Amino acid sequence: MPCNCGSDKENNLIYACSGAANTGLLADQVMRTLNRDGVGDSTCLAAMGADLSGFIMSAKNATRNIVLDGCKVSCGKKIFEKNGLPFRHFIMTDFDVEKGKTAITGDLIEAVSERISPLVTA
Amino acid sequence: MKVQILGTGCPKCKLLEQHAREAITELGIQVDVEKVTDIDKIMEMGVMMTPALAIDDVVKSVGKVLTKDQVKSYLDGGKFHAL
Repeated sequence: MPCNCGSDKENNLIYACSGAANTGLLADQVMRTLNRDGVGDSTCLAAMGADLSGFIMSAKNATRNIVLDGCKVSCGKKIFEKNGLPFRHFIMTDFDVEKGKTAITGDLIEAVSERISPLVTA
Repeated sequence: MKVQILGTGCPKCKLLEQHAREAITELGIQVDVEKVTDIDKIMEMGVMMTPALAIDDVVKSVGKVLTKDQVKSYLDGGKFHAL
């Protein structure tokens, strides 16, 4: 967790769908990979949906909010729109992944993460 | 009423605490001030950037050193729209 004391460091927060389907699993694993690679800090989408004040205020003050949805139902997107918060949106099914069919492998997680990473700050 | 100052002890966290205590004194209200320095507790409250301020367990500000007047505005029950 970054302390803002005297720092101009970007605070990118990453939220993942983590839903029931394979695409939710992929979103979750991509979030963890982006966190590992220093693209941003992973945090809790469910807490945003529950309107927990600390999470909402953190999102309001983040440099960027990165929302990773599994599929086009886009629950994460809807949560951010409900709260009127800015965000960048990525859907796993836009990355050659088919809901309910594509196996989520380590190689796929790395490949999707590598495609999303440069888009976060683009 | 309870005011929580969330931060690991950095200078800006201490400055926020100072502003909060000044605001409480000027308002002349009875408030319990709690410093939350445990990183797990801070993150449990959803705070991803410090310093942060919470009133009665509701986080009002994250990643900013509120001025004394801004803290007073929150303690008065108002909302400081310019944040």
